[in-house]
Amino acid sequence: MAADDHPKAADRGLTLHVGLAALLGCVTTLIWGASSGTSNYYWPVWVWLGLGVILGLHVAVLIARRTPSNRRAIAVHAWLTGLLDLALVVVWLAAGDGTFWAGWPLLFLQALLAVHALIAFRHMLPPLGRQRELEQRVDELSRTRRGALDAQATQLRRIERDLHDGAQARLVALSLQLGRAEERLRDDPETAVLVRQAREEATAAIGELRSLARGIAPPILSDRGLAAAVEALAIRAPGEVTVSADPGPRAPVAIETAAYFVVAESLTNVAKHAPGASATVSIRRTNDDLIIEVTDDGPGGARSDGSGLTGLRRRVAALDGELKVTSPPGSGTTIHAELSCGS
Amino acid sequence: MRVVIGEDNALLREGLVALLREHDIDVVAQAQDAPGLLRTLNAHKPDLAIVDVRMPPDFTDDGLRAAIQARRQRPELAVVVLSQYVEPAYTAELLASGEAGVGYLLKERVSEVREFLETIARVAAGGTALDREVITELVRAHSATPGGEDALAALTPREHEMLALMAEGRSNAAIARTMVVTQGAVEKHVSNVFAKLDIPQTNDAHRRVLAVLTFLRARTDG
Repeated sequence: MAADDHPKAADRGLTLHVGLAALLGCVTTLIWGASSGTSNYYWPVWVWLGLGVILGLHVAVLIARRTPSNRRAIAVHAWLTGLLDLALVVVWLAAGDGTFWAGWPLLFLQALLAVHALIAFRHMLPPLGRQRELEQRVDELSRTRRGALDAQATQLRRIERDLHDGAQARLVALSLQLGRAEERLRDDPETAVLVRQAREEATAAIGELRSLARGIAPPILSDRGLAAAVEALAIRAPGEVTVSADPGPRAPVAIETAAYFVVAESLTNVAKHAPGASATVSIRRTNDDLIIEVTDDGPGGARSDGSGLTGLRRRVAALDGELKVTSPPGSGTTIHAELSCGS
Repeated sequence: MRVVIGEDNALLREGLVALLREHDIDVVAQAQDAPGLLRTLNAHKPDLAIVDVRMPPDFTDDGLRAAIQARRQRPELAVVVLSQYVEPAYTAELLASGEAGVGYLLKERVSEVREFLETIARVAAGGTALDREVITELVRAHSATPGGEDALAALTPREHEMLALMAEGRSNAAIARTMVVTQGAVEKHVSNVFAKLDIPQTNDAHRRVLAVLTFLRARTDG
């Protein structure tokens, strides 16, 4: 309450000051009128000037006390300059001198104020050219980052395809040849064992390449698109999963892959932290945005800073998307992600 | 047995043709892309088609789609689909696509020559053969469901192996050979598995695959 009382007391002080000054000025004018008549030189103008300057200083003190400290100096400076300007003009008018000698000091005072203002507000008003340059740079970086991520996702799929048609296919052909050789070596069991071991090595290598390829880009995603890939995730998931996927026209590869991994990671979390809970996956498109939501009826209370969710959030953020986790204890968990498909 | 092969990779196609011919299987034609496969199947009307999932023109699941389409036109066509990855979602599509035998295997299974030949013979005769990887995926999913873990946990490692071999559509004799035990021992194991999982028992290999699959998917499909 003190903060409220204080300005009120100050305002009362100012009102009293204005009243007293007006009274004093009027009394002086009356004395002038009574003593020498109205045709004489109006000397009380100097009294009015003195009273006005003192009142102006009073107001300056009040401004200084009420203005936040970062703008106090410039506010008081502006007020005092205005006061001095007025005083100079009044003095010039009262003196009745012909030439406008007050011009130069007025110019000097305004120039001083202008320099002060430029220094005081230089942070708030960055030069226009620099700002435009920065905006262009941000646009360019957003565009090239999206381009780089799209290129990366496309390249990863190409690597998956190259593995499939290249190394994996060759290894399958190799193991097939080894299998045929093994068949012909029935009369030479010792050599047959060697060939079998070689075939098993080839098979193990195929298995490793397969898990590598699946981590890069699940084949069903590139084969059949997001809706089918998410349905397939639901089939693999241990709990009950209801899918409603309407992702619209196919999104850029990077967006599609990110959306897939949001669902995959969320369903893994459901299996891990809410076993037995049923989950709902919803994917829909509004204009340019792909909206992914995975909800479960588990115990909730998920830590949104867990490594899985942090990884997802980064993946989504890199595409200028948003990922929100709502998980109040006792009422399930919702992962909500929005990805823009526009470029 | 008359067989058509659909595979775009020349090395694999030739290897497969050589393997089958070595074992007196009649490879009547080969196709390198999905439209070619459909034409070939219409022209030759084979007993069995061995088809790669990823093929031209789209290099996605063209082979699988062609195989399913061919089975709709000729439900008696048996199909073995080969792929470098297994997708449980594709299993259901294949099983629903026709009455004749169906197989879904990882490509590297062709290198286990004797098992592979047995598998295609079984599928040509109307049987079902799912890769053990499909079963592994479904078992993993199933074990994580409440209650599912208990049922599967009751199985011994030996019985787990048995479950996978049954899902591959093998006969008791084939299982006995693979596990190097007597056929009598296999029969005992099989009835144990069925009793523990509470699945109605049957000795028909094809029905057995479906029973195992139904059991594994009962809860996972929700």
